[in-house]
Amino acid sequence: MLYFSQYAKARLEYRLDFFSSVFASFLGTAAAFGFLLIVFSRVPAVHGWTFEEMVFLYGFSLIPLGIFNVLSWNLYLFSDRYLIEGRFDRVLVRPVNSIFQVLFEAFRLESLQESVTGIAAVVWASRKMGLSFSAPDVVLFVLWTFCGAAIYLAIFIGLTATSFWIEDRIGIVPPVFNLMQFGRYPLTIYDGWIRFTLSFVIPFAFASFYPVVHFLKRGEFAREFWAVPLIAAACLAIAWTIWDRGVRRYHSTGS
Amino acid sequence: MTEPIVRVERLTKVFRSYRREEGLRAALKSLVRRKSSEVAAVADVTFTIGRGEMVGYIGANGAGKSTTIKMLTGILTPTSGDVVGNGFVPWRDRTRYVATIGVVFGQRTQLWWDIAVVESFRLLKEIYGLSEAEYRERMALFDKVLGLGAYLHQPVRKLSLGERMRCDLAASLLHRPPLLFLDEPTIGLDIVAKANVREFLEEINRQEGTTVLLTTHDLADIETLCRRVIVIDHGKLLFDGALDELRDRILPITSIVFDVKRAPDARDLEWNGRPIREVGLHRYRLDLDRREAAPATAVKEIVNRFDVSDLKIEEPEIEAVVKRIYQEGIS
Repeated sequence: MLYFSQYAKARLEYRLDFFSSVFASFLGTAAAFGFLLIVFSRVPAVHGWTFEEMVFLYGFSLIPLGIFNVLSWNLYLFSDRYLIEGRFDRVLVRPVNSIFQVLFEAFRLESLQESVTGIAAVVWASRKMGLSFSAPDVVLFVLWTFCGAAIYLAIFIGLTATSFWIEDRIGIVPPVFNLMQFGRYPLTIYDGWIRFTLSFVIPFAFASFYPVVHFLKRGEFAREFWAVPLIAAACLAIAWTIWDRGVRRYHSTGS
Repeated sequence: MTEPIVRVERLTKVFRSYRREEGLRAALKSLVRRKSSEVAAVADVTFTIGRGEMVGYIGANGAGKSTTIKMLTGILTPTSGDVVGNGFVPWRDRTRYVATIGVVFGQRTQLWWDIAVVESFRLLKEIYGLSEAEYRERMALFDKVLGLGAYLHQPVRKLSLGERMRCDLAASLLHRPPLLFLDEPTIGLDIVAKANVREFLEEINRQEGTTVLLTTHDLADIETLCRRVIVIDHGKLLFDGALDELRDRILPITSIVFDVKRAPDARDLEWNGRPIREVGLHRYRLDLDRREAAPATAVKEIVNRFDVSDLKIEEPEIEAVVKRIYQEGIS
């Protein structure tokens, strides 16, 4: 938490820069909603999903994505910044878990915009559809959002940890990152392979689609909905193990 | 020796390196099968350090100094061997262990680059769980001894090397660690800054009984700070003992270099059975074996005999001592 306030302080000193990056980030999110609007101006429903339901799904997927994007900045830079430049030495001589230090040393604060926009979209879509949520629903909603963020983070921590073994940069992160985009549309519109991948190989569907189906009260995939915390815990455990093994293999740089 | 604070036993680190071949074909081939070779950066090193000792760890570039320090600080996991520091196995109990040690790498700062120095210290205060009172007391000491106050509000990237090193030292000692590792703490510093760093380390060692293990290329660091040196080369421990003993045993040569105003008589170019050689324009050198004669006696004689305009005494450099050890071994 202290890292966070520290970084926020440094960033807010460049206030103009901060607001312009929030704005740029928001434009990207708005464009995606615009796309939905265009599609639904021609057809009333896609695979049984109405416009409002799609907005709800996309909005929900944005909430954990925003949390993930705020924290994940250093994961993209990990190999360059920490392994090649040798900054990881410094991380290891501090009595705080190394993955926390890496995650909390840089933030993309402007990505919080995504979570806020996502909440706004979910609220708008719920009103429009006349959905009402009980208090336990709201608690589940919040918890499942954090599970989603945990799934995203765990998957990218696991992928990032491979750079402890593979020095040359490999192009595995961008395709997986693009796969996240699939989570914003109903899983049922994809063919079997993609469905399988998103559920069992890289379980992004558990971070957005399965929770949303439950909250929309569509009556499908109940089993998957309740499996979300388990999947999140499993992803974290796997990521933690890979990271830990990686740290043991770390061989620093010559000096 | 006092009660040991660090025990190192048969410590070994083998690095496997992959040779990169040139050309596209070789690059493609290397995707399938890579040629690897193994290098022992540290091989079978054993020593102990007593509480309150200041020990110099020396060796030529690539001798394995940094690799050893990185294993002792928990950064690297050794291939084999044991280390116990402050009662912990560094790489196994890393987070608990590093809370009890201080580490400075002279080559790069441990502080956050973009934020003001004082913010870095505040973060460290939280990380090490210091109370406000402890923190204030510590910062007051650092300000008094190192003069930190003057640049506390500047970001690290704006500091000079000497200022940065003082901040790094202070940061490593904020939580009063009983054990301090320094990897080239004076590298790149000017004379004044070097002296500051040494004085500070002496002070901390005296006041708080901090145990220090430091690597350096500057013999003066060792001479002012350490009674004991450990020498390694090509990963192997070659010597462990007093600095004077090391130099006297390996390279007991002191050189006296002097300039003269008038060309000397050729008959005078000899002292105590050793030749005085011309090494430049009006410049001469006498290489003495310290075991045979005291340099002071030779200096007195030279000043008497020649019309000396300038004179200096040169001790063998640490690199030369280490090189000699490696070439000829220790007898």
